[in-house]
Amino acid sequence: MSALGGGSGGGEGMTPVGIVVGIILLIAALAAMYVISPGFAFTSLVLVIVGGLLIGFGVHFVPVGGAPAAMGQSPGIATGVTMLAAGAGLAGLFGGAWAAELGFGVALAGGAIGGGLMMAVTCLMVNVVYVWGMGVPAASGKVAKDPITGDTFEAYKSQGTEGHGLPFISYVGGVIGGCLGGLGGTLIYVELLGVYEEFLPISMGASAEAVLPIAVGIAGIIAVGMFLVNAVIAAYNITGTIEGPHDPKFKRFPRAIMGCAVASAICGLLAIIMAVM
Amino acid sequence: MEELLFGIGISAIAGALATVSGAAEDTESDIGSQGDPNSQVQLAPQMGYIHRIFSKAISGEPPAYGLWITLGAGLAWALMAINYNPVLAIILGSAIAVFVQGVYATTAYLGRTASLAKFEQPVYIDVIKSVTTVTMAHAFVAIFTCVTMCFLMVNALGHPFPLPLMGLVWGIALGAAGSATGNPFYGKERQYQSQKFGAGVPISASGNIVRYAEAGQRSSLDNGWFTSKLGGPASGVCFGLIVFLELWRTIFFEEFAGGWGAVIAGIILILIFMIVDRYIEVWARKTYGPYTEEKTEEAA
Repeated sequence: MSALGGGSGGGEGMTPVGIVVGIILLIAALAAMYVISPGFAFTSLVLVIVGGLLIGFGVHFVPVGGAPAAMGQSPGIATGVTMLAAGAGLAGLFGGAWAAELGFGVALAGGAIGGGLMMAVTCLMVNVVYVWGMGVPAASGKVAKDPITGDTFEAYKSQGTEGHGLPFISYVGGVIGGCLGGLGGTLIYVELLGVYEEFLPISMGASAEAVLPIAVGIAGIIAVGMFLVNAVIAAYNITGTIEGPHDPKFKRFPRAIMGCAVASAICGLLAIIMAVM
Repeated sequence: MEELLFGIGISAIAGALATVSGAAEDTESDIGSQGDPNSQVQLAPQMGYIHRIFSKAISGEPPAYGLWITLGAGLAWALMAINYNPVLAIILGSAIAVFVQGVYATTAYLGRTASLAKFEQPVYIDVIKSVTTVTMAHAFVAIFTCVTMCFLMVNALGHPFPLPLMGLVWGIALGAAGSATGNPFYGKERQYQSQKFGAGVPISASGNIVRYAEAGQRSSLDNGWFTSKLGGPASGVCFGLIVFLELWRTIFFEEFAGGWGAVIAGIILILIFMIVDRYIEVWARKTYGPYTEEKTEEAA
């Protein structure tokens, strides 16, 4: 156990019962969707689940040090996992929703880059404060060497701490996490928007133009909600702090993938049924 | 061309509003002790250090700011729907949201401090009187500027999201950027001024926060004064850059290559930020040097 809370070993496996229950729920949600509306709505649900998986996986890349990072006791960004990932993903969703009319590919890429850019700026300013505000160099507590730059860390760690600052590998991890979060959030938004634009005019008995603002609003709200659901599941999987892709806790991501798949399937099913039925 | 210039102008105004919003957000959260360093304020009485620091973190900054900005934006949106002037609507919406923030601050301080009664931490009525209004004032600046920025994005730039949803998105992003950037400066440099500059706080020093100011006991108002020198502006620059670059790359480059121009511009910006970050990291390693000498270098 780490002195700063949370296990540092990582890689605890999944229980067989959990896997079976998860798979049953996943198949049940997909089957229900297939029975209710095969075709476009079913494909959308599958892609919504993929979006949820991207968010859950992406959160594991984001270097978060929580309260210890704010004291220079551990490396990472001094905030909570869910919050930071949500901030980055939602900034991506903003860009993706803006680009939605330019096509599927541009919207997804726009969302991903929006999230990545948010994290790139945040990580840079975090390092500015660490270096010039607190006077500490970046040093990881989990690995001896930075896997990208080859910098050694042991000699740069303050006495009595588990490292501090934001090593380059964590910076790159943050940008990747932001990109995946923005991509996943935008995918969910675009798919739900497509479903609502298709089915809401029929169920509400109104013209497509009249329904569009409602479709955009509901798709956006549900995309934000599903973003938080998946980010919270991933944060519970991480428990406490994580430095990025080099952290041993990163290996726990398969559990979060399973949890996010089930949660996204059920949330997505409800979100789509609302318009289809 | 005129449309492009208009878009760039609005981006600049939105970026400036975001900068003010970020700076005010961080200063507010430092005065109210809401970010992650708050755990040290909560821990201090348990370690025997009674203090007069405000403590209102019952959730993270991002959801709290998500709530307040959404409230401000939602109320402004509702008032505009019944034909209020947008300026008046935004001011009224932000003002009502600030009263919610004030209630939250008061109840959070009383609740959190009361939970420490068994460690003999008192509730200071004069702290509630003096600090709550100051955090509310800073929160008003943060909420008003952020809601105005969201209004510009929807009405001037034509983003498809309705104003309250835009408020939720940027409120959470504002809290995330502010708590990430400003927190370390407040958490380490302000709370642990008895520790040496240029080193992290040892884990054994947890809870031993600095409790006395130049004259008498320190209150959270001193935190606002101190962190507005670096933590606040850094948070402001962070949020301002995020907003400005996100808008600028879209407005300026979306015309190119069927929308892919904005994506390519974003990738180039990310690479530039990575290079700058690496420069800062190397500068810090060279300037501050290793804390322990070659022995560990060889071992690594």
